[in-house]
Amino acid sequence: MNTGPLMAIQDLARQLLALEAARAESSDGHVDETVCVCEKLRVTLSKFMGIAGFASLLSWALARTKAQIPSLSGVKVRTDGTLEGFDRVQDKPAAGKAGAVLVSHLLGLLVTLVGKPLTLRLVRDAWPDTDINSMDFLNGVKS
Amino acid sequence: MSRQDKVIIRKIPTGVPGLDEILGGGLPEFSFNIIAGAPGCGKTTLAHQIIFANATPERPVLYFTVLGEPALKMLRYQQQFEFFDPDKLETCIRFINLSQLVLENNLNAVLEAIVKEVEAVNPGIVVVDSFRTVVRKAKAGGDEMELQGFVQGLALHLTSWQATTFLLGEYVEGELRDNPVFTVADGLFWLYQQVERNSIVRKLQIVKLRGQACVPGLHTFRITQAGLQTFPRTFGLTGRTAKTSDRRRLSCGIVELDAMMGGGIPAGDSVLVAGPSGTGKSVFATQFIAEGLRTGESAIVAVFEERPQEYAQRASTFGLDLETPQREGKLHILYLRPLDLSVDETVREILDVVEKENVKRVVIDSLAGFEMALSPGFRTDFRESLYRMIGTLTRKGVTILSTVEVTESFTDLPISGYSISFLCDDILRLRYVEIDGRLRKMLVVVKMRGGEHSKDIREYEITPKGFVIGDRLTGYRGLITGVPGPWNTIVEKNKEIPGKTEIK
Repeated sequence: MNTGPLMAIQDLARQLLALEAARAESSDGHVDETVCVCEKLRVTLSKFMGIAGFASLLSWALARTKAQIPSLSGVKVRTDGTLEGFDRVQDKPAAGKAGAVLVSHLLGLLVTLVGKPLTLRLVRDAWPDTDINSMDFLNGVKS
Repeated sequence: MSRQDKVIIRKIPTGVPGLDEILGGGLPEFSFNIIAGAPGCGKTTLAHQIIFANATPERPVLYFTVLGEPALKMLRYQQQFEFFDPDKLETCIRFINLSQLVLENNLNAVLEAIVKEVEAVNPGIVVVDSFRTVVRKAKAGGDEMELQGFVQGLALHLTSWQATTFLLGEYVEGELRDNPVFTVADGLFWLYQQVERNSIVRKLQIVKLRGQACVPGLHTFRITQAGLQTFPRTFGLTGRTAKTSDRRRLSCGIVELDAMMGGGIPAGDSVLVAGPSGTGKSVFATQFIAEGLRTGESAIVAVFEERPQEYAQRASTFGLDLETPQREGKLHILYLRPLDLSVDETVREILDVVEKENVKRVVIDSLAGFEMALSPGFRTDFRESLYRMIGTLTRKGVTILSTVEVTESFTDLPISGYSISFLCDDILRLRYVEIDGRLRKMLVVVKMRGGEHSKDIREYEITPKGFVIGDRLTGYRGLITGVPGPWNTIVEKNKEIPGKTEIK
């Protein structure tokens, strides 16, 4: 199986999480980076597809993530598309891993629906001041 | 006010082949337009084609989606079209979803949101898709004045910001009257998708367009991977009516027949070759094409009943090589067989090749096959369509030869079942005739609009070399009925009747 595209999506997810983790660190904030990434995507994607549209995408991604990491069972997607309960997950190592899985599923769904170029454009809209490394994402990482 | 004092309305290209011609040159800049039609008729595709043709980083496009097709799905499907340029999404096309706003607020809030985005982005084009849902919201509130105020406000604001606007909506024809939205609009483009027996026919009408003369009527369009392609009823020849001045005579490839036609077929004429099955109509058409190719004239053969390879193969049995000129790009055999074809599409295809290759001779083989290839809805307009097609091609200086099969009658000499003789400058009639217990073939030049022609009825044969014209058939009466009798029968009978003059 060619896992290149999947790995490229995971790389992009990790890149976004790292960006937000670094920002949280520099601002002394304690907001979870996964929540930050989802929030930034929510703001941009809601404008594009509506709040309900984003909420349904994130719900799908969360359901997939919960199937892999059951300790997220208490996490929900609110009707406005925000994530509820993610920062209260007790199993911190699992939560750390879950962030990358959740964002990967969300980005993967976008890629499935509208393709890589459009997904990347939406991501760039969400992080307008950041130079997102997109080469691997667009070309697919060799497995 | 003098002509130069008048404001010049710039025309924006639509990016849709044929549509600029229909609109009278393009979309009027800063106009407020409605694209209406039933679901699936191509409204969103048309809007996308227009925005991708015009979006620039300096004058981007704002595309508002409202409770219709979700933007995500819209982009999923629209990116399948060739005009879809993902780079433009990066730099100059913005999609904004207003669904929540429409659901939760009144129209003023929706207007405010649109205005805010427009002022921030300064777009060249604004699209609201689907505007119908906004209208439904207003109607559900029972406040038609609010809707009228909203549309008026939107039109004013977007025109002030120098944006060309498109509101997309699912409307049916009955809604045209007393509709405040249509009243405010500068342009109203109506798309139709009609099912006619087993065929789908797409048509477009510019119901209204302020500021410029558009081409009235229903125009056929098709949606392919390339997007919409429209086929203007004028075939892109608006205002050009003069027939070619080149009136030299063209050889049809058969010396004796050229002589019968007064020296050949006048260039730019429409020739009809009529006859029953097996009389050699296609052979004659092939000889006409081959002669043109021999003298350096490019040609098109539009076939409907057999494939190009078969057509060329059959020509080779008469010693005519159609393969080489095809390879050299001098001959184009167009095989047109889809069953939902429109005449306008066919003519567009022929005209494209005529213009590109400077084609001088066109054969339509045959009109019956052409009619069969059309969607049932277009068959009812076949005669009118032929009139436009022949007029268009001959105005281009093309000599067009059409074959038509006629059911043989043994009482008269029918020319065709389409009543199109008046469209043709020249008519050649082929027919069977029974003489001395043998089925023989005869031909007659019925009409030459360009001048004198032979009135002889000549016998002919189809040989491996093509048409071989024989002598005038003499000694028979009633040849055109197909069952002639010898003249001397009458002479003998007259002899038996006292007082009757003998016929010599």
